[in-house]
Amino acid sequence: MTLPRFDVLVPETVEQACSLLAEHGGGARVLAGGTDLLVDLKRPIVQERLIEAGGGDPGRFTTLGDGEPGAIDPWGSGDPPPDVLISLHKLAGLKRIEVLDDGRLRVGALATAREIQRVPEIRDRWTALAEGADSLGSPLVRARGTIGGNICNARPAADITVPAICLGAQLELQSPDGSRTLPGEQFILAPGVTVIEPAEILTAVTFPALSARTGSAYYKLGQRKALEISVVGVAVYVELAGDDTVQAACVTLGAVGPTPLAARSAAEVLAGGKPTGELLARAARAAAADATPIDDHRGTAEYRRLMVEMLTRRTLELAVERAGGRS
Amino acid sequence: MSNDYRILNTRAPRVDAVDKATGRAQYTDDLSRPNMLYGAILHSPLAHARILDIDTSRAERLPGVVAVVTWRDAGTEPYGVSPARYDETIFCHDRVRYVGDEIAAVAATDPDTAHEAVRRIKVDFEPLPLVLDGRHAMDDGQPQLHEQYENNICAQVHWRFGDVEQGRREASVIRTDTISSKMQDAAFMEPQAVLAEVDAQRNLTMFSSTQAPHYVQRTLAMALNHPLHKVRVVKPAMGGGFGPKASCSTAELATCLLALKTGRPVKFTFDREQVFLHSRARHQFLHTMTTGVRDDGTLAFLEHECILDGGAYASFGIATVYYAGSLLGGPYRLKNMNYDGYRVVTNKPACGAQRGHGAVIARALFEIQLDRIAEELEMDPIELRLKNVMDAGETTCNELFVSSFGMREALEAVRDSAAWKKKRALAGQTRAEGKGIGAACGFFVSGAAYPIYRSKTYHCTVVTKVDEVGGGVVVQSGAADIGQGSDTMLAMITAEELGVSLDDVRVQAGDSSLSVDLGSYSSRTTLMTGAAARDAARDVKRRILSAVAGRIDVPPETLDLKDGCVISLADPIDFSALRDEYLKEHVGFSDLPDSPKLSFREASRIAFLEIGAVVGTGEYRPPKLGGSFKGAAVGTSPAFGCSAQVAEVSVDLETGEVTVDRITGAHDCGFAINRTQVEGQMHGSMMMGMGEALMEQVIYDEHGRILNRNLAEYKIPTSLDMPQLDALIVESNEPHGPYGAKEVGEGAIMPVIPSILNAIHDATGVRINELPVTPERIVRALRRKSVCAK
Ligand SMILES: Cc1cc2nc3c(=O)[nH]c(=O)nc-3n(C[C@H](O)[C@H](O)[C@H](O)COP(=O)(O)OP(=O)(O)OC[C@H]3O[C@@H](n4cnc5c(N)ncnc54)[C@H](O)[C@@H]3O)c2cc1C
Repeated sequence: MTLPRFDVLVPETVEQACSLLAEHGGGARVLAGGTDLLVDLKRPIVQERLIEAGGGDPGRFTTLGDGEPGAIDPWGSGDPPPDVLISLHKLAGLKRIEVLDDGRLRVGALATAREIQRVPEIRDRWTALAEGADSLGSPLVRARGTIGGNICNARPAADITVPAICLGAQLELQSPDGSRTLPGEQFILAPGVTVIEPAEILTAVTFPALSARTGSAYYKLGQRKALEISVVGVAVYVELAGDDTVQAACVTLGAVGPTPLAARSAAEVLAGGKPTGELLARAARAAAADATPIDDHRGTAEYRRLMVEMLTRRTLELAVERAGGRS
Repeated sequence: MSNDYRILNTRAPRVDAVDKATGRAQYTDDLSRPNMLYGAILHSPLAHARILDIDTSRAERLPGVVAVVTWRDAGTEPYGVSPARYDETIFCHDRVRYVGDEIAAVAATDPDTAHEAVRRIKVDFEPLPLVLDGRHAMDDGQPQLHEQYENNICAQVHWRFGDVEQGRREASVIRTDTISSKMQDAAFMEPQAVLAEVDAQRNLTMFSSTQAPHYVQRTLAMALNHPLHKVRVVKPAMGGGFGPKASCSTAELATCLLALKTGRPVKFTFDREQVFLHSRARHQFLHTMTTGVRDDGTLAFLEHECILDGGAYASFGIATVYYAGSLLGGPYRLKNMNYDGYRVVTNKPACGAQRGHGAVIARALFEIQLDRIAEELEMDPIELRLKNVMDAGETTCNELFVSSFGMREALEAVRDSAAWKKKRALAGQTRAEGKGIGAACGFFVSGAAYPIYRSKTYHCTVVTKVDEVGGGVVVQSGAADIGQGSDTMLAMITAEELGVSLDDVRVQAGDSSLSVDLGSYSSRTTLMTGAAARDAARDVKRRILSAVAGRIDVPPETLDLKDGCVISLADPIDFSALRDEYLKEHVGFSDLPDSPKLSFREASRIAFLEIGAVVGTGEYRPPKLGGSFKGAAVGTSPAFGCSAQVAEVSVDLETGEVTVDRITGAHDCGFAINRTQVEGQMHGSMMMGMGEALMEQVIYDEHGRILNRNLAEYKIPTSLDMPQLDALIVESNEPHGPYGAKEVGEGAIMPVIPSILNAIHDATGVRINELPVTPERIVRALRRKSVCAK
């Protein structure tokens, strides 16, 4: 793996960052912790730069030098490497994590997984978010990787993104034209693809205030206990009413579809019901039916679907307990 | 254990501990030279293709490129590991056989330019059909990889020991089982790195992260057609090897070729991706075994067939296919054994030696079979094993003689330490769901008795020299400390023999110009190089004491070296004349000796004044070993290590996740030169075996490309996955090893996989015969079981 050459620009304000982005157009990428971006930019040593050779001999292939037209590179990302990276590391304001007066949680886009892990209010109330941060990478990666990077990188298995969407994240985006706020679940379109505009930056993620009787949980399934890309991730959120019935619920699934996936029929099963073991099991089956997993070298679709059921039931039990109810 | 050693058998800190912990240690990639160039290699993107044309002109024109080499420079003479199977050329000439096969190399003034140049090389290929599945590589009609390997069979073994048919008649329980594993990556921390330079006399010096400087020196000289005495291989500090670094690589050959061609130093370091492409790690094994036992649990016979998928070239693979059969000869009394082994070639990176060479998966299946047989006989699995273990002085059916053997002791040690009887008795009764416990044993060589090339060469020599100013000692050896701690072992033995402190011994090792040493493989260094170091130190000691004795007119036998001083074993001696002489030489020095005893510093200086250079030598060559059957040499060893292990696991019966809770292992290393290092090898083995059992696999797509060629997706255990490890040292006092010592480096991995798999079975009631045992495979097996039960 080799890194291409690029320049790094270091703006001092969000406005500067946005205008630099606008100035460089498609040739620029935003750099936060770099734990996704720099890995993506590395070029594999063995690339298949083959074309079918001309001269009417279809069985022949030629490797191509860089820059020659017609090269296909199925192992590479397909995108041309950027000329500049725009580093956000001087934008201290984007690191802030605070519980607002109205009870909402606001997490700056540059807050790292480790910083999220260490906020007691998050662990107490937005528990699934803390558990997502706990499960990310290793101590080294958690010290660098940010919530903004995790969301903007738009991977279906992203361990902060899945619980964030489940907890109703609203994304604050800023561009030279102003700012806008978007629900988290509308942000990601496909693996690696978001609705973000070329000159737009994610500045913060806010979460709705929570009543006392809410609970949430995140479970990541992999082959080992750290440094793992989820085979399945399940985030759940449950709010109980005074009579112990489910007032609101959300189940969000990771790694079983092209984007983090809302298991809507599971939420429907739960709504208004008493959170008995039987109800949670039914919701879990509904979640498994909502999932759209594929086979890949990390696991088969069949196993993933089964695991969605197991883990949805378990996380629901935990969340109900945390909400002060009993399943 | 009580003994009179001052330094041996202790937990002395490693001689390189501070340098490594502070970052001062120099690894190959840390080295630099003025005017140095950087190398890069063009690897094949196709798994099997004919090369029609190679055009390097665009690369050569790139500013900063100093040399581009292909087969036109390197020639097409084949080389390899075993002379009987030389099947590689430095660069591909007419054909590529795996994704990663090397086609050309570049030297340029900086790494980016070198990479860019490689990308500019144009190659015309005509793709050929692939052979990717080792199971079917031998089938008729399969594409052929090499002309000399008919039906893609690179090596085969057919052994008949004893009388299996007789065994079958005696057996009351007979069962057949299979297991399949996946190709592994050794996942050492330091990727291969090379720096080569040539002096005005055409002396070629190569610094390399290698396990075997001597073999690599020979291969370089042969393949590059350069005089052997003008090739020097030096191994700097090293971050692991585990086997794949035991043979000469294209990286080494290409870098030397570039240095010879340009006359400038050239450095080349593998990217992690290239570690995967080059591989030479563990083969894929497909074993079928039929084992029979009598009704009292005595082993009656083993019939064993194995296909080894070895990738595109032979590498160490001939030894591998032999080891896969021979090492089942122990640790149990087994009179009748048949073995048919086939090593096939496929369009994947070549496999070679990896910790527990050839024997790990065979051991896993055999130990699983023993558990299943114990179940059928309603016997405790450890009891069944105890009933069959060999004792010291016995010879296996394939003529391996075990001169020391703490197998019984090791098995009893883990049984008692892990409270086996209590925990196992709970099995089937009331116990937490998903908890299981399993046991297994292992058996391994302590140094291959024959070199890989036919020769009566000494396997190592050691030269120990006392500083002529007095006081210090230098040990010179070709042995390769690859992280296992052999430099510390050499220093400890020398310090013990000469009665000096560890700080006064300097080890210079890992350099082919210092001595012939066959290298760090087959768990040989402590037994062999340790013996040579002991003899070299004793030689030095004899010289010092006889020089001193001559000066004071006493018989040399009455003197000894202890605690940094010369002591008299008879009457007290007046050393004042020697002391005066020493003091006169050191007017103005402040740290002068003043105790009534004669210090080692004085004694060694006096010896120099009397006889000149004080040099001692030692060497080791195993006695002639082995039977007369074909392939009898593989598996022979001056000594055999053995080990036992109990693993305890918790399995999540819904998700299939396995947590290994505790591993209790006992290993018979004969005698622990350094107790901490013995435990370190055991811990490392447990970690590596656990990874292989539960998560490690190189995954290929249908084009022969590795999908997980990085350490994010090739899973090895993290520290959070590691259980509590209890390492118990068994010392059986091996008569052929120095101070009774023999191996621990590889033998300790033998029981790891089967003990974990047996524990998983105990926990779940299901057997999985495909490695690694991933959560998904467990869930599938559990669901099959519950469907069948319904
Ligand atoms: C060893 C290792 C282990 C990992 N383990 C996990 C894991 O367990 N779970 C997991 O989910 N991920 C894991 N990751 C991926 C990565 O660490 C996380 O996704 C992390 O949160 C990314 O954050 P970052 O700040 O490093 O993003 P960067 O790499 O800096 O950026 C990622 C992408 O987002 C864009 N971007 C970043 N910030 C902004 C912003 N504010 N506005 C607009 N665009 C932005 C960048 O341009 C880039 O495209 C791992 C990575 C490594 C290297």
